[in-house]
Amino acid sequence: MDTLSRRRFLQLTGGAAIAAAAPLLSIDSIAQAALIRPLPLGTPIFVLITLYGGNDGLNTVIPYQDSAYYQARPEISYQESELLPIGEGLALNGSMSGIKALWESKKVAIIRGVGYPQPDRSHFSSMAIWQSASPISHVSSGWLGRWLDRQESDPMLAISLGSVLPPLLAGSKVSGSALPLGGLVVPSGKLALDCQRISAASGGDSKLMASAATSLRNLFELSSTITPILKEPAPSTGELPTANGGNAGGNSDLQQQLDVVAKLIAAGSPTRIWSVSLGGFDTHANEKGAQSILLGNVSDSIARFMKQMQLTGRGKDIVVMAYSEFGRRVKGNASQGTDHGTSGPVFLIGDRVNGGFYGDQPSMRELVAGDLAVTTDFRDIYGTLLEGVLKTPASDVLGKWSGRSNFLRSA
Amino acid sequence: MNQEQLQRLEIARLFHRFGFGPKPGEFAAAISQGAAATRSQLLTVPQSDKGLASIREPQLTDLGKFPPPGTTARAAFATEMRRQRRDLAIWWLDRMALADNALTERMTWFWHGHWATSIGKVEYALPMYLQNQRLRANALGNFADQARAMILDGALQYWLDGGDNTVTAPNENLAREFMELFTLGVDRYFETDVQTVARALTGYRVVRSNGAVTFNPKNHDSSKLAFLGTSGTFTAEKLSDFIVSRDDCAQFIAERIWYRFISDTSPLPEKNGIKTSFAKRDIASAIRATATSSAISDLKYSQVKPPIDWFISVCRALRITPSKLSKPDQALNFLDKLGQVPFSPPNVGGWPAGEAWLTAGSAQYRLQIAQILLAQGDLSSIKQSPIANRVDALADLLGVPLWSARTQSALESVTEDPARIFLLGVSTPEYLVSL
Repeated sequence: MDTLSRRRFLQLTGGAAIAAAAPLLSIDSIAQAALIRPLPLGTPIFVLITLYGGNDGLNTVIPYQDSAYYQARPEISYQESELLPIGEGLALNGSMSGIKALWESKKVAIIRGVGYPQPDRSHFSSMAIWQSASPISHVSSGWLGRWLDRQESDPMLAISLGSVLPPLLAGSKVSGSALPLGGLVVPSGKLALDCQRISAASGGDSKLMASAATSLRNLFELSSTITPILKEPAPSTGELPTANGGNAGGNSDLQQQLDVVAKLIAAGSPTRIWSVSLGGFDTHANEKGAQSILLGNVSDSIARFMKQMQLTGRGKDIVVMAYSEFGRRVKGNASQGTDHGTSGPVFLIGDRVNGGFYGDQPSMRELVAGDLAVTTDFRDIYGTLLEGVLKTPASDVLGKWSGRSNFLRSA
Repeated sequence: MNQEQLQRLEIARLFHRFGFGPKPGEFAAAISQGAAATRSQLLTVPQSDKGLASIREPQLTDLGKFPPPGTTARAAFATEMRRQRRDLAIWWLDRMALADNALTERMTWFWHGHWATSIGKVEYALPMYLQNQRLRANALGNFADQARAMILDGALQYWLDGGDNTVTAPNENLAREFMELFTLGVDRYFETDVQTVARALTGYRVVRSNGAVTFNPKNHDSSKLAFLGTSGTFTAEKLSDFIVSRDDCAQFIAERIWYRFISDTSPLPEKNGIKTSFAKRDIASAIRATATSSAISDLKYSQVKPPIDWFISVCRALRITPSKLSKPDQALNFLDKLGQVPFSPPNVGGWPAGEAWLTAGSAQYRLQIAQILLAQGDLSSIKQSPIANRVDALADLLGVPLWSARTQSALESVTEDPARIFLLGVSTPEYLVSL
């Protein structure tokens, strides 16, 4: 165990559980469970990175040899010299050196042209579609939530960083847990004592009253242990790639989230799914600088995280996916930005990933109403992940969806 | 529970589930007049409501199209749009908190969660406000009228892509949700019915910024359609009337009322008065049947108070007008953290219910917002109560049927401090749950 004592880890994982919208177990029982069943080495771990706002895929994986690219967006296009070529006429945004290094070691799969039928250009609706994996009918549960529904109930199975649980982790019966980054803030002094008294367990409580009491009690019992741990510096990472290009300087929020994930994975948390996110991709105006900084954050944070994982012996178990709710319009707008579009690239990263390109690059010349065509349905990726990483029949989550994307190495 | 406690339970449920909790003095008065008289009073909407009289309608305008990004006009537009959205949400909180008889607001809130439309996609405040007015006007009237008004409501049409639904390229979103979530319930129709109903709903367009819905016969499918055992040509209104007249609609609406007003865990019993009283689609009758049924005093049907219920009932107990808080935005921010802001349901299925609301994170936010409200509220009913009576006075102020022994003793130890006992009271399991 790297920087965390077993005892503190157990306190911390208990903390993850109580922030959840779902089962309210006692901390002791969770801690005990974690002690007797740390995640076995070799169990695949899925880390999902959601990029909110609609990342401009054409300026992420860039068809820099296609004149149509420059014609469509003269003001916000990149020249070859600014880019990191990766073959097939495509190049990564210049800020993505971390991902480029992983690409060269064959650990990055780029699925091109990913979307779903009848693209919805509302952030809200499109993200709901990706997170529920249900493009046609509205479904309240998230795709990973439905996976959780079919597992033995365990609040540590899926954890999201941040105080609000993303819909993708909401199941019909159970939900993943949310872990606020800053820990929980509680009043002190007299009020703390008062609250502990009104939330004491009472034999006469109905089930709902007992849950209400537990939620308040957990707040007080855990805040003192979670908060300091989350504020600790990230675990040592040994030699890290030097950030360059688009790094905004200082820690990005995404990096903080992944640092916490790294700490908990290193400690053996019995967690199969981690969810982190970064916002700000809605680049209607002045896109180039802003997007480049964000992509640099994503790339550097992932590179750092993968390095941390290698040093823990869990490196082989990690599969990272990064996606956004839609790509952006091919044609630039009048504000050096782009409006909402359709398909975009999805990144999958890890030792279990068979690096390379998947799916067809959407043609710049055969646009659908001015937007890129969808060449891969995102459910193909989900299906592969469910079977290959989460070890579950995809039909449990996706129903009759037969498409798969072959980006995982055969075991 | 003894007879007296059961009566307190019934009256507390009437206040909290069919309104937004009692104002100071109301609960004690209700106890002395009894459950039947209280029910009758709470279910009778008065001609005029003094509480609501002072509230000004939100100042909303048709903002038109978004100016191009990056321009100064765009920045001003965004600022004004934010203001309108905020004013709209706070205006509704005011109505809930100030209404002397809160049944209409309670029902409007129920229907908002039913026809759950989010400003997250609609973006403009004006169409959301117009939808809210439609729901309020039909909150206790006839469901057929309500459904007919809603199927052509601009915000709902936009929310469910009605404008994209044309004879050449049907979009089934509205058709599916209309049957699944609004009128019939899942599995009470076939997939082919969805496709056919979508064709009947073609040809309508929405101006998003003001919710105006127009009809273009050229984009409408006027062919003869067969679905759900009927056939003919249909407009949206005629379609709505037909679907609402089906027996499955009475069953479904009864189920939804049961779910929100009685129990989100136990299913609607086979024998219940709600469905039969809804035979003519009269909402007021169905609500009266719900409030009169034996379930209303059955201990097993306790419910968690969702954040809005909790927040508004605290405001009412403290005589707080949300818009007059020193920082009204702060209240909205806390509601956002608690996961429930008016006009922003998480999806078309509406808000969750039950234990989902009871998390340690939400306990943290409730404590913080309660302290803010407390500092600006009117605590005179506690202050004026003799110290020895304050635990009972608090139960009456908050509309709590009874305190457990644990809570009783915790509250008794802080009776000298009105703010402290109030803060504790609104954090108790007995208040977080509608027992």
